[in-house]
Amino acid sequence: MKKVKVFTILVSLAIFFAFLGIASAGTLDEILKRGEIRIACQTQGAPFSFVDKNGNRTGSSVELTEMIAKEMGVKVKYLNYDWDGLIPALLSRKADMLAADMTPTLKRAMKISFTNPYMYTGSVVFVKQASPIKTLEDVKKSGTKLAVLLGSTGENDAKKAFPEAKLKTYKGGGPLLINAVLAGHTDAGVNDGSAATSQIASFPPNSVRILEGQLSNSPLAFAVRYDSPDLLSWLNLFFLHISLDGRLEQNLNYWVNSLDWKKEH
Amino acid sequence: MLEGFNFRIIWEYMPLYMQCFAATLWLSGLSLFGAVVVGIIACAMRLSQSRIMRSMAGVYIETIRSTPLLAQLYFFYFGLPSMGIMLPEWLTGVIALTLNSGAYYAEIIRAGIQAIPFGQIEAGIASGLSYFQRMGNIILPQALGNTIRPMLGQAIILVKDSSLLSLISIMELTRAGQVLTSERFTPAEGFLTTAAFYLIIYYLLKAFSGWSEKRLIFREAH
Repeated sequence: MKKVKVFTILVSLAIFFAFLGIASAGTLDEILKRGEIRIACQTQGAPFSFVDKNGNRTGSSVELTEMIAKEMGVKVKYLNYDWDGLIPALLSRKADMLAADMTPTLKRAMKISFTNPYMYTGSVVFVKQASPIKTLEDVKKSGTKLAVLLGSTGENDAKKAFPEAKLKTYKGGGPLLINAVLAGHTDAGVNDGSAATSQIASFPPNSVRILEGQLSNSPLAFAVRYDSPDLLSWLNLFFLHISLDGRLEQNLNYWVNSLDWKKEH
Repeated sequence: MLEGFNFRIIWEYMPLYMQCFAATLWLSGLSLFGAVVVGIIACAMRLSQSRIMRSMAGVYIETIRSTPLLAQLYFFYFGLPSMGIMLPEWLTGVIALTLNSGAYYAEIIRAGIQAIPFGQIEAGIASGLSYFQRMGNIILPQALGNTIRPMLGQAIILVKDSSLLSLISIMELTRAGQVLTSERFTPAEGFLTTAAFYLIIYYLLKAFSGWSEKRLIFREAH
């Protein structure tokens, strides 16, 4: 009986130390050992991460992550999530990083670690072309129904800017909000300017109108877990390099600052 | 697992959960009532003498059973407005759930009725009873006993299906879990609490099932 007990303790200690060994390896080492980096991204987040008309995953963030994988020398594995599922995926260790047009809010930063921003944008309001709403002031009327995305900065900006309005929160991606506005379920929608402009381009021309004025000024960044300081430093260095050699500007000019990408995707 | 559990956050969101619990109860209850009514009507049509009635009911039942509820829900939510029908989203959700479960109820009731041995109907005819007298006094009382358990089973399925209503921005139990996840990044606490509330509903339904079985099952006549 005593021999079995000692044996069990030794085996448990061995397993414990084995796990300790694995746990103490940094995320970059894990990625290199695995040979692939797992990235959580959306499928409806044009122009950053979406599925184009040819059925291929593409977008600004997707191309940046392809560059990241190439520089690291590993393969990329993309994991699809709704907007509000990105952070839980990262926290539950299903993904090594998330690549989306996410704003590094202080609340989110309590749970995940953001890279330095790679661009700036802001929330805008969009309405149906035929809507009587013409300016942001019109939206402030009480009882206006606004479509927002669950867990997005648009949701918070709308709450702050239009306290009298009734918010309808949708789970999924930006195009759902546009659908809700077009179907008449809501009077207007609130989302990121860069996302709204690109997603509206996929709908019939002149069906949706974006109102003048930004509700907020938000940076956008990628994110990793707090237990991956090595990956965070590497990503910050990566963004520094691609800002210096012009690849970031090229990427943003193609995908975000214009609708050039529409021609091929 | 439970040391990392943040009960304080669940307590903070409890008012939201209570509100959503009430919403789920009343949405499921309304849909359940509607589904039983639709099921009875569809079953009657399915068993009628007229071929038109039978095929209309058949088309309805087969279409519903062969398509996923989520597809039906999105069809009603985004499709009806494009046909000019604007409904508040809770009504769209209730209609989708009612029509969906109604088809399944029609089949359950039909199975219950057709399980009654034909000898019962023969005896009724021999005794000179009319169609409605046979249905009302002989067939349906016995069929009801057969169908109680599957009907309660379908009711439990309907309550769980009501979780899909969260996707058309209705504030119900699953949406409460989603809100907790997106505001506080605690999916475990959020959805475990949601599951606990669904468990409460399940036990309520189970208790009702036990009670009604005792009252409503009639032994077959010998």
